[in-house]
Amino acid sequence: MAKQSRRTEILEQRPVNLDGFVEEWPEVGMVAMDSPYDPKPSVRVEDGVIVEMDGKPRAEFDFLDQFIADHAIDVEATEAAMAIEPVQIARMLVDPGVSRNEVLAVSRGLTPAALLEVVKTMNVVEMMQAVQKMRARRTIANQAHSTSARDNPVQVAAEAAEAALRGFRELETTLGVVRYAPLVAIALQVGALAGKPGVLTQCALEEATELELGMRGITAYAETISVYGTEPVFCDGDDTPWSKAFLASAYASRGIKMRFTSGTGSEVQMGNAEGKSMLYLEIRCILVTKGAGVQGLQNGSISCIGVPGAVPGGIRAVLAENLIASTVDLESASGNDQSFSHSDMRRVARLLPQLLPGTDFVCSGYSAVPNYDNMFAGSNVDAADYDDWNTIQRDLQVDGGLRHVPEAELLAARNRAARALQGVFAQLGLPAITDKEVEAATYAHGSQDLPLRNVLEDLKSAQQVMDRGVTGLDIVKALEGAGFSDMAHTLLAILRQRVSGDLLHTSAILTPELETLSAVNDANDYAGPGTGYRPSGQRWEEMKRLRHVVSAQNPEQEVG
Amino acid sequence: MPNPSQVDLDPARDYPLAAHRPDLLRTPTGKRIDDLTMQAVLSGEVSPEDLRIAPETLRLQAQIADRVGRPQLAQNFRRAAELTALPDDLVLSIYNALRPRASTKQQLTDIADELERDYSATLCAGLVREAADVYERRDILA
Repeated sequence: MAKQSRRTEILEQRPVNLDGFVEEWPEVGMVAMDSPYDPKPSVRVEDGVIVEMDGKPRAEFDFLDQFIADHAIDVEATEAAMAIEPVQIARMLVDPGVSRNEVLAVSRGLTPAALLEVVKTMNVVEMMQAVQKMRARRTIANQAHSTSARDNPVQVAAEAAEAALRGFRELETTLGVVRYAPLVAIALQVGALAGKPGVLTQCALEEATELELGMRGITAYAETISVYGTEPVFCDGDDTPWSKAFLASAYASRGIKMRFTSGTGSEVQMGNAEGKSMLYLEIRCILVTKGAGVQGLQNGSISCIGVPGAVPGGIRAVLAENLIASTVDLESASGNDQSFSHSDMRRVARLLPQLLPGTDFVCSGYSAVPNYDNMFAGSNVDAADYDDWNTIQRDLQVDGGLRHVPEAELLAARNRAARALQGVFAQLGLPAITDKEVEAATYAHGSQDLPLRNVLEDLKSAQQVMDRGVTGLDIVKALEGAGFSDMAHTLLAILRQRVSGDLLHTSAILTPELETLSAVNDANDYAGPGTGYRPSGQRWEEMKRLRHVVSAQNPEQEVG
Repeated sequence: MPNPSQVDLDPARDYPLAAHRPDLLRTPTGKRIDDLTMQAVLSGEVSPEDLRIAPETLRLQAQIADRVGRPQLAQNFRRAAELTALPDDLVLSIYNALRPRASTKQQLTDIADELERDYSATLCAGLVREAADVYERRDILA
């Protein structure tokens, strides 16, 4: 073996070299955003119908082409928009003198290949500048995962409370054992209420089951409604743009907020990318979402991040996904939700393009639990990264949606969540939660710190929750009956939101005061320096606090 | 109560409706939002049916979506307004019927006819008929 330098030895041991990297291979779609097989932009309209798009006549449209041409693209605007040079549209995106609405007047007429050409002219700094302007909601927010490797409801409740207190406005859970879903979804809801009012919760499941939990009011919104960029992969996902559009209307018909999910790399991973670049296919997903009349999209590669992460320019393409979602006026829940790299430097570099400009949800799943408990296979950031996140916010004066919370407040919230769930389970006749479990959940970091539950009993009662038709109203009554009246009132207020439908609008969240904030009444007004959302006043004071900050007067004394 | 179908909404003034126009909101059972109190819940006067959105409300929200330049979102709300009349299991079964290779063209046509005939759901019927045509052309019927 050839003699190796000491330098090479050290570099070989760096975590980044545990990551996977591959050469581009356009024929199978292993290319981020520039495949020789990507179509060239074109459009032709006859009698108010798009008869040619991106070089393909209507007779040859696959079902995505047809859905996009007939539902997503504004036929009135398309020929004028397509006549503008891509680089000119990119300049409009970057230029703070051009308003968001002026960009939307053009983007509503662009085909998938045209949107691709626009972002291909942009570097990541230009894309970030554009995201800052094109994000739909003025105020940024963040979303967390609260899951348990043992599907332990007590742990999920305590973690939900801590996450809510730390600032997340949405919480998502999923399961190891799917049959646990009703108990864990109830735990997530109850726990969130113990942390901070107005946090919306969801449980990621197969489409029909997810809808059922939503209809019952056990969850508040839905997100795992996947769309794909080629026809064979869409069909492998057992859906079409029409089935998904119908599902979107089904959610709205029950007053439930929802967004779709997609991301670069899914088609390569599922073996049918038709030789197109990952970003081209993702743009088709974005436009299917738009055409279905869905308010928003979770994208940014999501569970396929290893695929774009392995090819040159892949993370630039991931940012471009988020930018295009915002550019076509969708809520952007922008990824950063999947284990991505062994390298801490690379994890942060992957995060900054969403954190710095701000998106509607910077992470569509910050792991509020240690990654070993993360049932979405781990996130880019987890519970052990809280202090780093808060410090980065403070260093750069950039709002990532979180805050440092003193230990005593956290413990009180975690304890209250576990006790409230104990009370709700007792009221609903579900398996008992012991005081020992409550105590353990209060002080735990992860499921390994909690006593084991009787899984068979839990699963039996989970089935009963479904059979008995338990609803959100039953949880309200159980909370009230168990003496958690404030939480009962808050949950009732969240359920009442369904009657008004205000949360169905683009980028809607509930504030801790239970007011709806969306792109309708909190539209992004960024127009260059000195405008738009920037953390100030009380929020900036809150961001200045960290675990260890010393007094200016007395360096021996810690403040905050 | 003003007739919701004749109300002219200004998104800047009227949204969120729960805060600014509660006078326009009723549950499908005819209750006002103010009626959905904890006391009413505990005494059993509020059922899960009361926590649903009414078709008139979805049409008001469609008007808001249109006025802020989101026609697709508005159209989704109008389809949703039609679906409020369908029971949960029928909604789920139509969704399943629209999956690839799940239905024949005749089955989809029958669903569209049923939507139109029994529920006046013309927009949803149109979506299902459109799907039937595309599925035939792309060979993904059962």
